[in-house]
Amino acid sequence: MALTRDSVPVIGRVVATETLPASPHQFHFWTPTATPIGIGAIVRVDGEDRTVFGVVLDARAYSDLVTPLHEVIGAEGDPGAAAPPTRRAEIRLWTAAVLRQEPEEPLQPVPLARVRLATPADVTLALRMDAYAQSEPRSAIPVGLYAAGGTRAPVWLDPDFLLGPESAHLNINGVSGLATKTSAVLFLLSAVFQHFPRGKGRIAAVCFNVKGPDLGFLDRPAALTPQDLEMYAALDVAPEPFDRVRFYAPYKADGVNLNTLRTHPALAGSVEPLVWGLREVLDYSEVLLNRDDIDAKADAFLDFLADRVVGKPFIDEWGGRHAVESFGDLERLFRAIFDGLEAAGGRDMWRTHHVATIRKVRNRLMNISTRCKGLVTDDADGNDLPFGAFEDRTVYVVDVAGVDQLGQDLVFTRVVSKLREHLERRDLGVEHVVAFVDELNKYAPADGPETYVRKMLLDLSERGRYLGLVLFGAQQFRSQVHRRVVGNAGTTVYGRMDMDELATPGYQILSPATKIKLATLPKGELMVRHPHFTQPVFVRFPRPASLQGRQGVEQFPPVPDVAFDDAVVRQLAALDRRVPAARVKDLIADRREDDVRRALLATRRARPHDVLAFFAARLGPAVRRQTIGDPAPGADVAPLRTVEDPYAP
Amino acid sequence: MARGLAREAARQPGGRPFAEARVVEGRDVRAIPVGEPVTGPEGMGFVDGIQRFAVEGHFGVTPVVRAQVAAAALERHGGALRCAARSVEEFLTVPRDRLTTDQWEALTDVGLPIQESDPGPRPHPLLDRWAAVQVIEQRRDRCEADAAARFLAARPDAWLVVDGGVTGLAAVRGADRAIGVVKSHETQFLEATDLEAALTLPAGSRSSAFVRRGAGGVEATSWYLRLWPWSEEDLLHGLARVERLTARGALDSADDVSRWLLAERSPVADRDPRWERLLYPMHHVEMYMRAEAGGWH
Repeated sequence: MALTRDSVPVIGRVVATETLPASPHQFHFWTPTATPIGIGAIVRVDGEDRTVFGVVLDARAYSDLVTPLHEVIGAEGDPGAAAPPTRRAEIRLWTAAVLRQEPEEPLQPVPLARVRLATPADVTLALRMDAYAQSEPRSAIPVGLYAAGGTRAPVWLDPDFLLGPESAHLNINGVSGLATKTSAVLFLLSAVFQHFPRGKGRIAAVCFNVKGPDLGFLDRPAALTPQDLEMYAALDVAPEPFDRVRFYAPYKADGVNLNTLRTHPALAGSVEPLVWGLREVLDYSEVLLNRDDIDAKADAFLDFLADRVVGKPFIDEWGGRHAVESFGDLERLFRAIFDGLEAAGGRDMWRTHHVATIRKVRNRLMNISTRCKGLVTDDADGNDLPFGAFEDRTVYVVDVAGVDQLGQDLVFTRVVSKLREHLERRDLGVEHVVAFVDELNKYAPADGPETYVRKMLLDLSERGRYLGLVLFGAQQFRSQVHRRVVGNAGTTVYGRMDMDELATPGYQILSPATKIKLATLPKGELMVRHPHFTQPVFVRFPRPASLQGRQGVEQFPPVPDVAFDDAVVRQLAALDRRVPAARVKDLIADRREDDVRRALLATRRARPHDVLAFFAARLGPAVRRQTIGDPAPGADVAPLRTVEDPYAP
Repeated sequence: MARGLAREAARQPGGRPFAEARVVEGRDVRAIPVGEPVTGPEGMGFVDGIQRFAVEGHFGVTPVVRAQVAAAALERHGGALRCAARSVEEFLTVPRDRLTTDQWEALTDVGLPIQESDPGPRPHPLLDRWAAVQVIEQRRDRCEADAAARFLAARPDAWLVVDGGVTGLAAVRGADRAIGVVKSHETQFLEATDLEAALTLPAGSRSSAFVRRGAGGVEATSWYLRLWPWSEEDLLHGLARVERLTARGALDSADDVSRWLLAERSPVADRDPRWERLLYPMHHVEMYMRAEAGGWH
């Protein structure tokens, strides 16, 4: 591409001395004290036979004053003395890092020539975006607007390096509340959905909502300022909320009220319950085991359960027939084993498994159904994300903000693992999935015990790009996240940073001025590193067009939990407004809550034409309550003998 | 008293250690407090020059000296100095009478103007160089006068501070707006109690004015001004001599001009060893000239 000098005004000149030379990677230039450039500005140097683009990393100003003492003498010790009639000679000396040289070979020191502000076309060249942002059709994702010295230019990411296969993953970093991490990711997701080339396949996003209502209203429009709209136009992104969003949330412990803040009546029915049974949990039982639990014996017993018991007819040594489909069934099997061993004279081995191992596994498994009641059901039937039927340009929000840590780990691990399995088999429904995980420092900490979640995240970071599974991770402190997770992120974004964090070794490559800028970044401004950019670049981005958590809750305040029967009515009414509340209440009166939950879940899953009829059919006929007489005197049932359980919670 | 002399080598005064002057403000010289410093008028100019030279070679024992002289007038607006006039000259200087025709032609082929220096009675390596320096200083004075003349002509209301005396500007139109600031005190115009009064002026005071006669009989009204307090070790510390062409009003404005110059004490020209009597704008002009001239070989 021909690079010609143009009419852009000269703002400075490159200077080089023996102690401050210009090199192929760095140069210095001076400007008048009144200049439009600042840290992060992109400049162009036009030499005789080469053009160099650079980004300003640092700046210094000094005068010809030899020692501050002479200033004191000049003012006769009075800092309030009148300003001297002559201003001292003063210099603004800027340090810039080379972004690109044209021609690229032979690589030579930067010419001692005039410096101009980069034009929008220069920005494209400087950041090497011309290879993908200027192709036809364009294959680029806008991440924000470069803005310095009156120049505004869109900054584009290469989808092959953001979403694979060349490199992948994005990591965003910054202090809570000021770095606008979630906003940045939502804007970028929106840009990805609008600009990811159709020819590269279908794409969806799975966003884990781990705190408050952050991602609960992505389908609702947000109020945007004229400045935001202007930026959307400049970035060629339509300022609209996501038009295809599926919300998932587990139930609360009552099994009927959803554990989410998106419960406003106007949004009723838009949240799918996320409910898992034994099968779903057992496959990821490693998540439930702590470091001390991970041993070959527990593993072997879990494998035995998964391979030989769950979902298959099983006959125990004492003639008991088991069809283990749910936690309830499993508990009955455990009870049969313990009773059988007891009856056999207190044997401590069952099918090569020690009773202590069996008790440990039993306690861990049953613990999840207690701690994550609402997410995990005792029944066999669950309600899951539509693995195999994912839709193009759709956001799947999994709201686990109200679930305890163990449950979050389980959800996170299982969903990501399932995504990976389906992507490997190419049967997910889409070819690319972005998984957005906030608070990455919690799931993949730099230190601490090795957990299944962290192992899975490491695997995702290192292999995900080949599968089309891309991690968009966010955290407050990058230094606290496992280095292989952040290191594998091809694109890194920094919002407002904490100075203590910036003092950690990971930021040594940044100049002091860049660090200061990072520590004082206003909302809506980010520093972006991308494989094509040889230096970080600062960009601005507009507010997301989707309603964000706090505003969402203000606009759609969540309703309080309601009684069991009212919750059932509400959920059925969300499927069909004509369902009469009184009739539903009559149907479920005096019915076991577990039966009602099961029928309700089945109805939600089936989404039948006649909701009430389907619900009633799944509920089955009521069994009339029958009072039997008092047991005969002396016919007391002897209590069961129990073996002491060392792993009881 | 002898302590100061013991610390630094005593300099030999120039060729004219003494000159005549007559006091024109009272009978005897006395210290006159000038009042609080006041910033000079907006648009004030400052002229200074530089000179550089090197012996490029010899014809026999006769040195050929190449020189560059330059001067600039910088004007001050809003505290910032900008170049208003500039004059540069590069030349060779040799004692022509000592060269053969061939040697002279060889020099003219270089393409630089040639200024003749005094051949003296016979060759002498040091005297020949000294003679070349005399030529160079004269050319520099011309450069400075040229820059000053152009400034005064272009800005008919502006005052101009020049480095050194002003009698050389007598022929320049507007020279009555020139203020000379002389840092060297090689020529003494006063004696006895007048001299003592002048050399022991307290800071912020000037001496009574006197008139001295310069080259061609041009008269200048002059006075000493103490910019910084003097010390026991150096009577000349912070002492400048100010002069203006003798004309109507020159004496009347002595206090005003002195106050302007007092205001120039800040900022301090601390990169120059003569900082206590070198005004910062003059230092700036010199810095500008050297930066403009760049490397010179």
